[in-house]
Amino acid sequence: MSCGKHCLPVLLISSFLAMSQPLAAQDMPLTQVLIDGEDWQSVSKGHRFTDGLTTDAEGNLYFADVAAGTTINRIGLDGKLTAVADEAPRISGMHFGPDGRIYACQGGSFGRIVAFDLKAGKMEVIAENVKPNDLVVTSDGHIYFTETAKMQVSHIPPGGNVQAADVASKTDGPQRPNGIALTPDQGTLAVSDYGGRYTWVWRVAEDGSLDVRQSYITLRTPSPDFPSKGDGMTTDAVGRYYVTSAVGLQMFDPTGRMGGVIAPPTNKPIVSVAFAGPGHQYLYVAAGDEIFRRKTKTSGIEAVRAKQQ
Amino acid sequence: MKPLIPLLALLLGGLFVPATATADYRLTADSKPQSGVPKGTVTQHRWEKSQIYPGTVRDYWIYVPAQYDASKPACLMVFQDGRGYVNEKGHSRVPTVFDNLIHKKEMPVTIGVFINPGTIPAVRPGGKSRSNRSFEYDSLGSRYANFLIDEFLPAVTKDLNLVDDPQARGIVGISSSGICAFTAAWERPDYFSKVISYIGSFTNIRGGHVYPALIRKTESKPIRVFLQDGENDLDNLHGHWPLANRQMAAALKFAKYDYRFEMGDGGHSGQHGGTLLPEMLRWLWRDYPAVKKETVNQGNVNQGNVK
Repeated sequence: MSCGKHCLPVLLISSFLAMSQPLAAQDMPLTQVLIDGEDWQSVSKGHRFTDGLTTDAEGNLYFADVAAGTTINRIGLDGKLTAVADEAPRISGMHFGPDGRIYACQGGSFGRIVAFDLKAGKMEVIAENVKPNDLVVTSDGHIYFTETAKMQVSHIPPGGNVQAADVASKTDGPQRPNGIALTPDQGTLAVSDYGGRYTWVWRVAEDGSLDVRQSYITLRTPSPDFPSKGDGMTTDAVGRYYVTSAVGLQMFDPTGRMGGVIAPPTNKPIVSVAFAGPGHQYLYVAAGDEIFRRKTKTSGIEAVRAKQQ
Repeated sequence: MKPLIPLLALLLGGLFVPATATADYRLTADSKPQSGVPKGTVTQHRWEKSQIYPGTVRDYWIYVPAQYDASKPACLMVFQDGRGYVNEKGHSRVPTVFDNLIHKKEMPVTIGVFINPGTIPAVRPGGKSRSNRSFEYDSLGSRYANFLIDEFLPAVTKDLNLVDDPQARGIVGISSSGICAFTAAWERPDYFSKVISYIGSFTNIRGGHVYPALIRKTESKPIRVFLQDGENDLDNLHGHWPLANRQMAAALKFAKYDYRFEMGDGGHSGQHGGTLLPEMLRWLWRDYPAVKKETVNQGNVNQGNVK
């Protein structure tokens, strides 16, 4: 093609158009989440073994002390620590349901799923004879929980009974299913594997059943023959996944590609993670006897649901 | 004229951003319809019964050249991110390139299969479909190759007469599907012997940065590889594409592969690769069907500029 100077802009525009065809999903480095100069801050200490972090629509943080506590604790937006429920031992996972109650995994000799009505000061047993580790509740009341020793993801439909949503085999699926989280659209359920390399995902059907299990997310491990120790999980408003692990808090983009590993606050293992605080913009982690948080550029999916409600 | 100034500034500013260097890459006559050259047919289909990637759906296209004669077995090339390759206004315009090169007998009569990555449609109301592209393309291992070889290709080419020989099969991709094409041949050289990678993601999206090390310490495989990249390709959290492609080329050279490497000055686009496609095809198919065993690793080797 021969042309003078006057057709240069046309060439440039066509090259811009060619360049603008996206070949890959948007890259999501840690810099999209972390803020320069913001580090982990201790927000509560003196516990024994903290776990089960979750949040409500306002951004208050709730956590349990599995080893010693008989309480569910709350850190309010004012930073104050309050015990909101007592006689609540062995709680390892919590999540608010659409009815405003806290649903919780109660392990050890209890082996049950319970729901706490904090306002009325009442507890209801939802399911017994289970070995729950962590759970999540959809906005329409489906409960999903991990039963680590049974290699099982269990499901309780609203008002229904416990059923095995999926059971792994020795050669396929999570060997020690642990943390559990939903994408913002609640169309995908993710489960970390304390004893393996992957975080697994399923599609969530309208009736709450799960299908098409996939080893969608590969975690970094401390060495090739060491498991990820994938534990507590959460997701953020754009669908990134966060998994506590042996090497820190691992972040993945919505297509399952690692964005990076966030350093843990101390050398104690982190086992639970949640977005909470003002605007749900703070990452909170449970690190043994202590709770830490750090401000981020993103926000948790509780913030998305709070807007929907 | 005032409103034009920002536009002009954008355009002139654009002159100095490296990405515009790709404006130098123009498709040649080989990539444009030529009179007197018979046109093959392209049909579009959907694949939604994968056992290896359960729940996925994907579009695919089949190109059958006008010269195809069902009594004579044809060769096969499989294009990942197929929509971009089959598009008659896209970066590569493969059906037209095949029409022209087959007509000139610069490549054999070859069926083109163009396949998109899978998506898992949401079934919960308000749910979003989940992309399976990175899982399929960026993962190392044989899963995707097995999907093509054991599941997809036998089904979609069952009515076509194809040569059953790895020398008669090539695999092509761009970016993540570029490394995917290499992975498929690396895992299954018994099936694919020819690889084209545009701006291949030999970076740490899901561990693919290890290939240069693996290539150097693995007995050479009978695969022929054409790599293309650009100086202004990506440098991000996953890695540095131009460095990664140089490492690939250096490793292929070290291990005495029959490879070529073209490093241009473009960015993360198919433009340069698209203009090179006719040359890539001529090079890959240059001696077919008389591909000599000894030329596979010793013939037209060590081309390209590895700095």
